[in-house]
Amino acid sequence: MTACSFRRHVPPNLLRRLGPLCCLALLAASGHGVEPRTAPVAGLHDNTPQTHALVGAKLVLAPGKVVEKGTIVLRDGLITAVGPDVSVPASAVVSDMTGRTIYAGFVDAGGEQEVTAPRSAVGGWNDSIRPHVRLDENYKPASDVNKRYRSQGVTLRIVAPSAGIIKGTSAAVTTADDAPTYSVVAPQTALHLQLEPAAESEENYPGSPMGAVALVRQTLHDAVWYARASEVFRSGTNVPRPEANEALASLNAILASKLPLVVQSRDWHYFLRADALGREFDLPIIVHGSGTEYQRLDAVRASGRAVIVPLNFPGAPNVANAEAALTVSLETLMHWDIAPENPGRLAAAGVRIALTSRRLKLSDSLLAQVRKAVERGLPPDDALKALTVTPAELFGLEKRYGTLEVGKAASLVVADGDLFTNPKAKVIDTWVEGKRFAIQPHLFADLRGRWDFTIPKAGGGTEPVSLELEGEAEKITGKLLRGKKEATLKNTAMDGAQWSAAFKGDELDWKGEVQISAAVLTARDDTREDAPGMKLDGFLLLPHGERVPFQAKHTVLEAKKKPTHVQADDKDRAALYAVNFPLGDFGLAAPPMQPKLLAFTNATVWTSGPAGKLEGATVVVAAGKIQAVGRNVAVPKGATVVDAKGKHLTPGIIDCHSHIATDGGVNEATQSITAEVRVGDFVDSNDINIYRQLAGGVTTSNILHGSANTIGGQNQVLKFRWGALPEEMKFATAPAGIKFALGENVKRSNWGSSSRYPQSRMGVEQLLRDAFRAAEDYRRRWKEYRSFKRGLPPRFDLEQEALVEVLEGKRLIHCHSYRQDEILAFLRVCEEFHVRVATLQHILEGYKVADVMAKHGAGGSSFSDWWAYKFEVYDAIPYNGAIMHEAGVVVSFNSDDAELARRLNLEAAKAVKYGGVPPEEALKFVTLNPAKQLGIDKHVGSIEPGKDADLVLWNGSPLSTFARCEQTWIDGRKYFDRAEDVRRREEMAARRTALIQRVIASGEPIEKSDDDEKKPSWARDDIYCGCRSPHARLGQAQQQDGK
Amino acid sequence: MKQLAQLLAWLVAAASTTASLAHDVVPGAPQKEPIALVGGTIHPVVGAVVENGTVLFEAGKLTAIGRDIALPKNVRKIDVRGKHVYPGMIDVDTEIGLVEIQAVRATVDDAEVGEVNPSARAVTAFNPDSELIPVTRSNGVLTAMTCPRGGLLCGLGSVMRLDGWTWEDMTVRGDAAMIVEWPALIQTQTARLEQLRIREEKRAKALEQMTGLFESARAYQKLKRARADQGAPPPDYDARWEAMLPVLEGRTPLHVRADDMRQIQSAVALARKEGVRLVIVGGYNAPECAELLRSENVAVVVKGTNRLPRYRNDPYDAPFTVPARLYKAGVKFCISASDRMANVRNLPYHAGAAAAYGLPAEEALKSVTLYPAQIAGIDKELGSLEKGKSATLIVTTGDPLDIDCEVTAAYIDGREVDLTDRHKQLRDKYQQKYQQINAARQQD
Repeated sequence: MTACSFRRHVPPNLLRRLGPLCCLALLAASGHGVEPRTAPVAGLHDNTPQTHALVGAKLVLAPGKVVEKGTIVLRDGLITAVGPDVSVPASAVVSDMTGRTIYAGFVDAGGEQEVTAPRSAVGGWNDSIRPHVRLDENYKPASDVNKRYRSQGVTLRIVAPSAGIIKGTSAAVTTADDAPTYSVVAPQTALHLQLEPAAESEENYPGSPMGAVALVRQTLHDAVWYARASEVFRSGTNVPRPEANEALASLNAILASKLPLVVQSRDWHYFLRADALGREFDLPIIVHGSGTEYQRLDAVRASGRAVIVPLNFPGAPNVANAEAALTVSLETLMHWDIAPENPGRLAAAGVRIALTSRRLKLSDSLLAQVRKAVERGLPPDDALKALTVTPAELFGLEKRYGTLEVGKAASLVVADGDLFTNPKAKVIDTWVEGKRFAIQPHLFADLRGRWDFTIPKAGGGTEPVSLELEGEAEKITGKLLRGKKEATLKNTAMDGAQWSAAFKGDELDWKGEVQISAAVLTARDDTREDAPGMKLDGFLLLPHGERVPFQAKHTVLEAKKKPTHVQADDKDRAALYAVNFPLGDFGLAAPPMQPKLLAFTNATVWTSGPAGKLEGATVVVAAGKIQAVGRNVAVPKGATVVDAKGKHLTPGIIDCHSHIATDGGVNEATQSITAEVRVGDFVDSNDINIYRQLAGGVTTSNILHGSANTIGGQNQVLKFRWGALPEEMKFATAPAGIKFALGENVKRSNWGSSSRYPQSRMGVEQLLRDAFRAAEDYRRRWKEYRSFKRGLPPRFDLEQEALVEVLEGKRLIHCHSYRQDEILAFLRVCEEFHVRVATLQHILEGYKVADVMAKHGAGGSSFSDWWAYKFEVYDAIPYNGAIMHEAGVVVSFNSDDAELARRLNLEAAKAVKYGGVPPEEALKFVTLNPAKQLGIDKHVGSIEPGKDADLVLWNGSPLSTFARCEQTWIDGRKYFDRAEDVRRREEMAARRTALIQRVIASGEPIEKSDDDEKKPSWARDDIYCGCRSPHARLGQAQQQDGK
Repeated sequence: MKQLAQLLAWLVAAASTTASLAHDVVPGAPQKEPIALVGGTIHPVVGAVVENGTVLFEAGKLTAIGRDIALPKNVRKIDVRGKHVYPGMIDVDTEIGLVEIQAVRATVDDAEVGEVNPSARAVTAFNPDSELIPVTRSNGVLTAMTCPRGGLLCGLGSVMRLDGWTWEDMTVRGDAAMIVEWPALIQTQTARLEQLRIREEKRAKALEQMTGLFESARAYQKLKRARADQGAPPPDYDARWEAMLPVLEGRTPLHVRADDMRQIQSAVALARKEGVRLVIVGGYNAPECAELLRSENVAVVVKGTNRLPRYRNDPYDAPFTVPARLYKAGVKFCISASDRMANVRNLPYHAGAAAAYGLPAEEALKSVTLYPAQIAGIDKELGSLEKGKSATLIVTTGDPLDIDCEVTAAYIDGREVDLTDRHKQLRDKYQQKYQQINAARQQD
């Protein structure tokens, strides 16, 4: 945001839009009388002087810039003077602020409001794309909301529309109870997005986070296209007219103005996704954080993005009893322990942060949460900055907001102490644009101190009596002293200028209760507590009804040292354990080291290569690559040696069909073709199944889109580098691919009624042909346009781009298929377009058409023995793999299941059992063959010199149920080691115990859910893939339960 | 070459078998003459392994196991040298015969309407012609308890021998166990508050209902007894509580499906209170309450070792080690496949995984033979190779708990089982396709 942006934000058309009624209401409500306004004056002019001088306060001009005692002058909603030596203008209403601390008004950048305006008739086809929705035009101030914010010192809020994926633009609004004409101070502050739909859907695109990102990406391309097409239409003749699309037009204007984009994040994965989107399209992105940024602090810092940081620290995990504690993950416990340090850790890392009360159950707990963050390491100045300067700068409001400087808005917070360090400190007043809102009741005067007076003495003369008043100004305690005796005051109360109290008189020779009533008399400008001449003028009402008048004089007492209220153990509290990767269970402190030289000796090596199986062999690894394999290979000097005597070494297992490690929903099930959707956008590197599968020897996995549509999304091949970031897990050199599907799932056979095309295998065949034809047409249109530059430019269509890549052999097809008829039809369609299918997935009737598959060159990636879970797999047989293999098809066995993937070696063994495939060939079903199918066999799949050192060490034959995976290596780094795992369990158990102790000791109430925001749990299985197992069925039941 | 030989072997087999879609495998005829399996390695499960031994059975019963056995004159000697003989394996928690294809409703008969169906009897809906039956026994699983599911009291599970013409032929125990699904534990860590509240209410209601069910059944039992004592006519018939009488009398055990610690503890408490016999089915967290289970003498059917850890913080091998941990803690257990239908045949591999992760190999074998027989109360007839027990056994090429093992012959009550199944038939059918193609190619 540039410095002049505020000018741009002045809404020239705003008043025109508001009816006269609003303005009348506004005048009644507002104390402003001086700013030029357009509405006629009703009744008499209100020209009350609007000048205030706050005198004697500690002024926090800006973070780190403090005037210990100074004056601030406010006039017409602006700060006109501020500093230690400021003369007070004659017209000013002077308020004594001795003992007060004044900050610039706080800015909360995380607001949201529902926009109920009807949808624009020309808003584009997809209702979740709403860049044209403007909060300013729809802003509905609510006095209860404003009041809560003011109670926390918040004077300005950024409020965004809440609905949609591209939600629209936010406005900056004050927390004064003005009509929008005055409370909207900047009409368009940012464009807001979330990278997921509101809920999973089978009908409305997008129905998954993957789809949401794809839609955002396409929309950004569409905006560029729309601008160009509109331009061509305006300037050219004889060109067709593009559609009217307010969404795209608005988006263009917003992008051109360099308005920031605020992207909401559910966790740090979403943070990095937002950042990636920003880099892809060069967008000025601010991330609305999740509170988990500390888990990947380096990546967050490296992004250079500013973060709006929530303060909804997690509540105590449910460890109420041992049974419940069983289910609480170390991740949950550690998150509870560390999360309050998130703001401090971000600040320390140099990340620009703005704090928000968003996601707090009570917005009036903002300051308490800020203090918690300060207690847990956020420097107070950084906290102040994150509530003032930074949010003001992020949204281009720094000319008017964020510090106490001349010319800035008279929005400030008056407190009775340091709001960031003193838990007892309270906001006294919040000034919003020159208007004072009392947060604490205002006392007529501070009566604390000693009051001396005399009363008539029995039998003539007078005797001295005094009152000693202390405690808090609002809640005075104290005593009355008469002679050497004293009585404690009770029922003390201030009612305007009238003070009253009572005490038990027995000790003081008044038998019974004595009441005190007095008026507080002050001279003008003498309201200060040390003012000379402050008097109490009143009487004692003695037990028998006699009134004893008195006039008391005031003396200020030396303030007693206040005890520090911060509990020591809270202040010293720091998280018990360092962040590991991923956080908690089985996470690593750092990536496993890669020895320069590594040798496995005396191993039975299943090379899956031409060397076959070697007994007593040595495998040498250099810098993560296999250097030598053989029986007579020397161990190089300095090599780390793994003695594998009696053990078996195999290539890392490759799973050609999986859905783990993704949180994008697996299926974008809403349309029959969703080629634009990318699984790679939603890799979840925290998935514990990655680690569990490493423990079963899996090193590489093909993460596929689901099977709900004929042409699904793009797959992502991963290497299971546990602890790494999602991007770092991607198999960089793996060719691109895409999921296709046939049969029952795409015609929605097992999912109630559907009328989506296709409803039959006939339709599936037609849809495929049609899609390929459309892609050809698309490619031709672009070619023509590039050659002749005539007419409207074609739209850049990510779906078509992916299909063109398929046509050109640059994107591999992995097609879910079962029955021989559909397999044959599919292959024939592809052959028509000269497309070779990379793999037929499941392919349970492959044995019926293995000759056709072999001739076509399609790989077969199958289950070893699943069958009969739905009708199209009633003819599935476990001999399928062997028969396809015999026919010359490259065959792999896959899991399609988080559990089955843990023992793919045993699935391979079933090719030996059912069909007599030789053991070494069978092992290739889960090593070399899937590598070939995925086009990565140059790098992985066998133990051959030059390939990646992805290796698994077994304590017996990998084809035996009695064997166990002992170690799993990727790129020459050990990612799983059974001995290390056992050690880590003990360490985890110790951590759990310590943290559970801490939870119980904290006395915090048990939190039953993380927060009350919507938390859809996106599917992590291909839920459309029939009921493959009892587990799958259970999963479905839970899904339905969830709906 | 080996593959070629295999292929030829199939072709020979194919010539003698007609492939077709219906389950047309003919049940074995009753044993006519004594049969002696000679020269194999005998694994009686109870007692030591016998090398180069003989198994003799007559009229469906085992009559002798060992070496140097005198064979009757009319004996049929079958040479099993180089092979192994084991008792048939048993899975006590399946839905075989009740469900053919999960996704095709017309073929699913495993659950009744409502929460309370103690009178539903699996045996009456057991389809002897299910294609799943031959596939299952092909891998050595010869006996299965087939169980209803759904609701709280699901109905009666039945132990079936996996060969025969009708369900009556195939019944070992018609009413073997009352199947109960214990209300599921709520996982508080992920659920949304509102959902959580609803589910908690549901669970509380279910738990209350569960206790109430037993009280109702008990009241019916008392009333019935009182009437009988008074010589009065019995109370109006209630099929549900009538079905619960054998449970209350301790004759039929409760098989309670429960994985979580709190489920297991509650089930044990209820069983103790009602004085009924209890078996826990599932048992993921059973090792965490081993002392309770041991002291209350409650057995556990470990519902598969090949399953995922239930909680993020659990060790990756937690499901694999459940049997080993129960064994060490002295809790009675057996292993059941995690799949209840099409892949019950993989039962032995669940035991194999348990062995790979700490269960002694001989215990692993018992956990799919003798132990399930004991838990299902059929160990007088089944579960081991002992004189007088049923001749329900398999002949194999190796250890059935490992995958490279092939079952070459099977006997159920002495009847020779045809080991053909749908999978072999389809294999043979399509081998002919490739044979025809090759033949045509050679002609060209």
